[in-house]
Amino acid sequence: MRAIYLIARREYLSYVATWGFWLSLASVPMFMALGFGLPILIEQSQPTRYYVMVDETGGELEAAIADGLRQAALAIQEDALEAMQEMTGENPQLRAAMEQNMPDVDVEHGFVRVTDLPDTSLEALRPYLNETRFLSTPEGEQPLFAAIYLRRNGEAIEMDYWSTNLTNPGLRESIRRALRDFQRRERLVTAGVSPEVVDAVNALEPEIRELNPQRSSDSAEITMADRLPVFVAVGVAFGLWIIIFSVVNMLLTAMIEEKGNKVLEMMLSSSRHHEILTGKLLGVAAVSFTLLMVWGGISLGGGVAAQQAAAAADMPIGDILGAVLDPGLLLPALGYFVIGYFMYGAVFLAVGSLCDTLQDAQTLMSPIMLVMMVPLFLVMVAADSPDSPIVTFASWVPFWTPFIMLARLPQEPSQVEILTTTGLMIGTAILVIWGAGTLFRMGALNQANQETVKNWFRFGKKTATG
Amino acid sequence: MAETILQLEGVTKRFKNKTAVNDVSFTVERGQITGFLGPNGAGKSTSLRMSLGILTPDSGRVSLFGKKPRTTGLDRVGFLPEERGLYRRMKVIDVIVFFARLKGVEPGEARRRGLKMLEEFELAHAAEQKVKELSKGMAQKVQIISTLIHQPEFIILDEPFSGLDPVNQKALERIVRAQAEAGRTLLFSTHVMEHAERLCDKIILIAHGNKIFDGTVEDALAEVPRRVLLETASEHDLLALLDAFGEIREEPAREEGTRAWSLDLAGRASAQDVLKACVDAGVKLTRFEPVRAHLHDAFVHLVETSGRPVAEVQ
Repeated sequence: MRAIYLIARREYLSYVATWGFWLSLASVPMFMALGFGLPILIEQSQPTRYYVMVDETGGELEAAIADGLRQAALAIQEDALEAMQEMTGENPQLRAAMEQNMPDVDVEHGFVRVTDLPDTSLEALRPYLNETRFLSTPEGEQPLFAAIYLRRNGEAIEMDYWSTNLTNPGLRESIRRALRDFQRRERLVTAGVSPEVVDAVNALEPEIRELNPQRSSDSAEITMADRLPVFVAVGVAFGLWIIIFSVVNMLLTAMIEEKGNKVLEMMLSSSRHHEILTGKLLGVAAVSFTLLMVWGGISLGGGVAAQQAAAAADMPIGDILGAVLDPGLLLPALGYFVIGYFMYGAVFLAVGSLCDTLQDAQTLMSPIMLVMMVPLFLVMVAADSPDSPIVTFASWVPFWTPFIMLARLPQEPSQVEILTTTGLMIGTAILVIWGAGTLFRMGALNQANQETVKNWFRFGKKTATG
Repeated sequence: MAETILQLEGVTKRFKNKTAVNDVSFTVERGQITGFLGPNGAGKSTSLRMSLGILTPDSGRVSLFGKKPRTTGLDRVGFLPEERGLYRRMKVIDVIVFFARLKGVEPGEARRRGLKMLEEFELAHAAEQKVKELSKGMAQKVQIISTLIHQPEFIILDEPFSGLDPVNQKALERIVRAQAEAGRTLLFSTHVMEHAERLCDKIILIAHGNKIFDGTVEDALAEVPRRVLLETASEHDLLALLDAFGEIREEPAREEGTRAWSLDLAGRASAQDVLKACVDAGVKLTRFEPVRAHLHDAFVHLVETSGRPVAEVQ
């Protein structure tokens, strides 16, 4: 036990004392922050874009666009008010305050219409569009982003949209939608439908209720809270895969490095093979638990903070946290993690002990990587079709059970299935760890290498040629 | 009677179709320096690994301190493997403390001893350096400190002199002697006979996995025929004159007008008897040189007489 503890401790400290570990630790919150913050930052840092709109109908289409955009903005604001109401309950004072403080409606955030140019013909605007002339703006000299010409051709509406920008469709699409709605409404009114009826028709929305036949009619309605465990289980299975994959790679590289350092024989004079193997596995397991705790803590903290924020009011953060912390998912996830980690970790350690370089290891790793990649895809299938025969079959393959069975848990597979697959997985893990220990013993003393393993799979070839 | 620290009885170890060690038996007694000699690939490292329980013999029995090698017994052993290495990214003192703790030394005591030994080995300045920053010689010293830090009763050194320059070889010889004087038992393997000849109380010779000698250095040297080299400037036929003293052969002469001879003395014959016979017969001797045998010669002779092919011996 002393040797196992000391080896595990040394392994743990050797990882946490590296820059790489702290970078890994920071990477997840960093990517999360980047994922959320970058689009906002990009949007905020985008320069104001100026456009000219020329309505050749004398203002009819211009007014229609303004009205359409206002309606669209009001719909978004109404959604936000409803979300706020869901979070805070009915609060007329707050609602009134929010309605009063609604921002002015713009065509698209970051776009400003220029109305003071004396000549708005295309020939006059072309130098501004081609950036050979510039507009005087509060931000200094700026090019013209777009020039829009609107006209009628009978009942049809035509828009010429001149711009050198080929990738930002925001302005064009906002105007197109507004004109489309106007055109449809106009046609219906022309056909004799009253404007009130048109508005009422546009507001129509079917009421769909999704119901679970296994429940009584009072509580049969399926809500987001019912679906969440499925998504959360798939997410946790993904997380498990990522963590196991990351840390077993640490084991592989550390083992190869240690073999290169020729330190193993010295260790073997103080401890036994199984103690070294177990110590290393436990040390790296402690590293992964540290990662889990920190990432989990950050996610939990982030979730709680997000719950407090009005911006996230339409996200069921509380339900997500509840689903993640549900012991029915959390405890099996821990169990699957431990078994999956030891199973794959032992294999990676054994491979490392057989190889002198990472290049050597790659040959042996390729088939193992293929085996490891399968559950990654099947977990995605399990999210859509948890009852798929392929998913069910795959959950019986002991190497994939930790991930796929976890993803299937919210679907409540039978107890027999859960217990049998778990038993098979534990049995396989014991066999794998035993086999890996044997290989590790041989590899550590250079009595076996990658060729030894390759030769195991060459019987057929030998028979054929021999 | 001295206590037996290590005993191998009829130990055999095979790898695939190759027999690395074949029915080898020997003992290491307390307080002795035992040399385990043989050419590369003779089975020395395999025998040492079996002695520590790192490898399990296919047949035969190994006992360390009177018991099957176990981790608890290993706390009393210091082992310097042939393939030496340390954790390169650790600090020197931390590596030493780590290996000491593996052997059961308390952390504070391990650190105290480590710093003291670093001072003795003139490496005190490197205590906080990382191993990867050390020169090869310094790293080897750290490895030796890691082997001795827990003050083991029994020290096993596998090819300790390989890779060391002559100065460090001398330094290591001094360490071996100092440990022996401190009452420790030492077993070291080497394929360089000179070290064993200078240091060992007892030697075990092994070739192709078979033990071919087990005894003192003097015993081994006694196995080699004593030889006398002669050169004559007269026409005497030494083949006839000295035949009774042993096996005599004529060798190529070094100078014109002389003849050279080599005589392997038989059982009781002495060099003095040969010299007297030559003087009595009026032989004009230009050279008379009794040759002192070395362990190298003993090894070659023992392998030859064991009927096994002579391997490369330095």
